[in-house]
Amino acid sequence: MNQDKRIIVGVYHLNKKLGKHFSLEDINLQVANGEFVFLVGPSGAGKSTLLRLLYMDNMPDSGQIVVGPYISTRIKRNTVPSLRRMVGIVFQDFRLIEDRTVFENVALALKVTGAGMREIKRQVTDILTRVALYHKRYEFPPALSGGEQQRVAIARAVVNRPAVLLADEPTGNLDPTATKNVLELLFKVNAGGTAVLMATHDIDLVRSFGQRIIYLEEGRLVRDKEMIYTGDLRERIDDSRVSKRAERMKDLDITGGKGE
Amino acid sequence: MNLNRIRYMFGESWIMLNRRLGAAVISVFIMGLSLLILVIFLLLTLNIAVMIDRASEELRIFVYIEDGIGRDRSQEIQLSLLGMNGVEEVVFVSKSEALTTFKEALGEESDLLDALERNPLPDAYKLKMQHDMMRSDELERLAGQIEEWDGVEEVRYGEKWFERGEKFVKGFYVVDLVLGLIIFLSVIFVISNTVRLTILYRRKTIDVVKLVGAPSSYIRMPFIIEGAIQGIVAALLALGLGFLVYYFAHRYFPGITFFQLEAALLFVLFCAVLGAVVSYMAMRRFIRI
Repeated sequence: MNQDKRIIVGVYHLNKKLGKHFSLEDINLQVANGEFVFLVGPSGAGKSTLLRLLYMDNMPDSGQIVVGPYISTRIKRNTVPSLRRMVGIVFQDFRLIEDRTVFENVALALKVTGAGMREIKRQVTDILTRVALYHKRYEFPPALSGGEQQRVAIARAVVNRPAVLLADEPTGNLDPTATKNVLELLFKVNAGGTAVLMATHDIDLVRSFGQRIIYLEEGRLVRDKEMIYTGDLRERIDDSRVSKRAERMKDLDITGGKGE
Repeated sequence: MNLNRIRYMFGESWIMLNRRLGAAVISVFIMGLSLLILVIFLLLTLNIAVMIDRASEELRIFVYIEDGIGRDRSQEIQLSLLGMNGVEEVVFVSKSEALTTFKEALGEESDLLDALERNPLPDAYKLKMQHDMMRSDELERLAGQIEEWDGVEEVRYGEKWFERGEKFVKGFYVVDLVLGLIIFLSVIFVISNTVRLTILYRRKTIDVVKLVGAPSSYIRMPFIIEGAIQGIVAALLALGLGFLVYYFAHRYFPGITFFQLEAALLFVLFCAVLGAVVSYMAMRRFIRI
């Protein structure tokens, strides 16, 4: 598995059936250490399912998932927590504990590792400063704006320096300004060496960044290419092997009316 | 297991109790009230058992001696009685003592006895039996044996009453046991439902804790500790309220007793374990970890 870059997440011939009508079919992808990848597709394409499989909340029917040293076919139930500690996870709905302060929410990720209280305080202070929320450390999540809550969630996800950050529609509930802040934060996290895999349905949002984009449609990986941004992404989609779904997405202009 | 982690587990249960104090108080209150029913039931059982015990404690066998058998034979009988299995104490009641007691018992009507020219009552031995001999078959056997002896006129212990009393006691314990079982089960049912609701309520928290990679023991322990604490507080509440009931009842029934300290502590311990176990079971049912 060692090429010039170390592969931190590998998915090989993954199949997963969920319910009667949906399945992920033969997914193959690799994410290298420190890479930033967008996982794009309309809702229902299987992005969340794929991410859940990556943090092994769900197990594949066949095929294999490798995250760092953990292999889905061999992992034991009681080692899943150690896997989770090297994977940070962020959701659209933030998933903060509402009756705990910002500080406590972030500290939780370190407490479960058994770190000392002084160490926890230092790290949490550091990360909260970096997401510009240190002054709100004693607030409870409901008192924060959506963007702020998501920044807390990201702080919690990365405070123990995971190798990978999985973000499932992290900007789905946010206005454009907050979206921009969150994305910038994710880039910053990535610049610190953490590989980031961010799922979103919003093609327009990610087209301008020049990062690698993986397209997922109806449970299949339809396109995976390192992209350098030149011109309009939609044209690039058109001249690749694009499904009708992408056409429809383009026609609907799903991001055009959104908040801007 | 990392020492810090253990400390954090207790911290987690503290936070859970503290931040939702209202909810915690309500669930402890529900648990305490249902335990109060159990406490009152146990108190009733205890006091009835004590009453039964006292009643049988006071029971004596009277061995009446024939008139004019002489001092020596009388003493022989006393010695034989003392040597019998299960006899704890033998007290001589002379005929004159018996008459005095009788007179006292009659009270104002005792003038009637003045008409007697001589004391018609016989001498007697009053036997106190060991506790485990207090069964109608044992007493009947013993009485029959003594009645055979020379110089013994009659043996009496209120056979009819005793048998009836014994049947009643047996019946009481059967009913009590069944009733106790029903109350016990319903108390457990109420408590486990209350605890289950608390855990259901915290499902989101549990999901988050799972997400950040907490080992399952770290997720479960705070709930188990919380369950134990709630059990202890509820038990103390139930005992406290039970004591209040006892305190007021004591005015009308001065003979009644409350639990001994050891029994009360055992009850608290039992409730702590119950809370913890119920919590653990609820976790297992709801959260696949």
